[in-house]
Amino acid sequence: MTQLLRIEGLRISFAHRTGSTDVVRGLDLEVNQGETVGLVGESGSGKSLSCRSIIRLMPPHATMSATRVEFEGRDVLGLSRTELRAHRSRNVGMIFQDPFSCFDPTKRVGEQVAETLRVNVGLDRDAARERALALLASVDIDRPEQRFRAYPHELSGGMRQRVMIAIAISAGPKLLIADEPTTALDVTTQAQILALIEQLRRESEMAVLLVSHDFGVIAQACDRVAVMYGGHVVEAGPVDEVCAQPRHPYTRALLESIPSVESAGRRVRRAGIPGQPPNPAELGPGCPFAERCAHVRASCREVDMSLIRVTEGHLTACPVVADSLGAVATGVRP
Amino acid sequence: MLDLESRARIVGRRLRPRRLYNWELSAGLTIVGLLLLAALLAPYLAPYQPNQVSVLDSLQPPSWHHWMGTDFVGRDVWSRVLYGLRIDMLVVAVITYLGLIVGVVVGTVAGYVGGWLDAIIGRLADTVIAFPFIVLVLAVIAIVGPGLKGVAIGVIIAGWALYARLARSEMMVLREQPFMMATKALGYSHLRAIFRHALPNLVRTSLVYSTVDVVVNMLVLAGMSYLGLGQQAPGADLGSIIASGQGYLLSAWWITTIPGAVLVLFGFGVSLIGDGVTRGGLAMEAL
Repeated sequence: MTQLLRIEGLRISFAHRTGSTDVVRGLDLEVNQGETVGLVGESGSGKSLSCRSIIRLMPPHATMSATRVEFEGRDVLGLSRTELRAHRSRNVGMIFQDPFSCFDPTKRVGEQVAETLRVNVGLDRDAARERALALLASVDIDRPEQRFRAYPHELSGGMRQRVMIAIAISAGPKLLIADEPTTALDVTTQAQILALIEQLRRESEMAVLLVSHDFGVIAQACDRVAVMYGGHVVEAGPVDEVCAQPRHPYTRALLESIPSVESAGRRVRRAGIPGQPPNPAELGPGCPFAERCAHVRASCREVDMSLIRVTEGHLTACPVVADSLGAVATGVRP
Repeated sequence: MLDLESRARIVGRRLRPRRLYNWELSAGLTIVGLLLLAALLAPYLAPYQPNQVSVLDSLQPPSWHHWMGTDFVGRDVWSRVLYGLRIDMLVVAVITYLGLIVGVVVGTVAGYVGGWLDAIIGRLADTVIAFPFIVLVLAVIAIVGPGLKGVAIGVIIAGWALYARLARSEMMVLREQPFMMATKALGYSHLRAIFRHALPNLVRTSLVYSTVDVVVNMLVLAGMSYLGLGQQAPGADLGSIIASGQGYLLSAWWITTIPGAVLVLFGFGVSLIGDGVTRGGLAMEAL
């Protein structure tokens, strides 16, 4: 498999009056062509910011730096202003959590799809309209001619997200970043949207980076997964393997806290994770999970959080787990 | 915020779109529409030339021959009011909406770009607003010279700043909206983001405010003409007609009173439109 995206040592920090706070603290991530990678973590773990670094879309006061952000072998950090615009418009498509506020409320949704086709693909007005209707049909919107003329507030949440996807894939991107695409939707629609993304991925051979706080969504949709906590990737590997044999105490605790279908109706207390997610401003060196970890050792306050290989393609940042398995520390993924 | 459908469901009523028209809007549009029509059709409606002097018919009270009477040199007041309305409406529309366009564009760009450009434009607008409006207009007329051109330049220079401030503050809110971020994620140019996506979303407030501004500018224009700084004699304009009848207020009330009433009627009509737009469906609260 060819590598599409490679991020190494990504750091993102917010500047404020008294200094700056690191929110992402040395993230490594890679995505191969045509695969679906999940990025899972709780609110504030830095997952949304991390995936925005791929198109260098930082909120005000945030700065990013990295050893390497490469897309198809090209350095994203070194792109000029025009190259960056081309990168954003053609290489990467992005969909967001709240599909309503991402539309211009004064324009018909069809026009917004057609606009992307005119501006980013270079079609003329009629061709763009034609292609937009075809796109709307391809994201399973029935009666596309009618929906084309609808305003964003006239569509349902699921429908808006479909149009959003249509816009994101209109220029035939090689990578689709889906930032919590199903969080604002109900469960039935959620499954449909995930199925749609999967179908489009297979048809067009684009890769998908799926960001979610919901392990269920990730397990259903992804080939590989990276688990984030406190601005670090704490574990990465094939989804099946990570779910079956989590190699980081945080992942294990996270998986154990998900209620199962078997427990429905019975009074079962889920374990949960004691304590609070870390405040990035108060994080010191070492493992950010040390405060809440059941297996914490004194050395945990000093680990450098580099990923250690446990089996082929399965990595963990926890040296305690790795030691007990007799794994070899490799630093970076092979 | 809830969408219309869920709101209706909660309230338990059938979904009914807000009415576009209400009585204020209808009445306002009727008044302003009739005045506009009269101004446009002035050459056909006026029985006399506006400057046609007939000394023998001077200071005639309203009659079938002269609906609004005649002034001290026998010019027909009805004809002069029609032509005066024509020039006044044209000038007011031009100065108000040129000011709006300049202000909205400048304010939007300032709000979008931010930084030092925003600081300069923001302070400049504050400075202009800090001046009393009339004094600033008078100062500009003193430089450019009296006449409609002077008034127009003065009002635009004094008037753009409020629109700039309105648009700027709206842009600051819009800038944080996800759909503005989406224009970046899609690689759109700044120009496209500003003029295709931000402007249509913020121009509404300025348009509603402009209904107030039209009335203010109409009064400023009439006031300047009344002072002899606007429309120059013998040209007809509501302000100059009123000024010309001032000396005959006790003997020939119609020369000042009727053009004054037309001015009031126009202001009333435009204010009604403003109220109607703010209250009615055009304000689109649902968004």
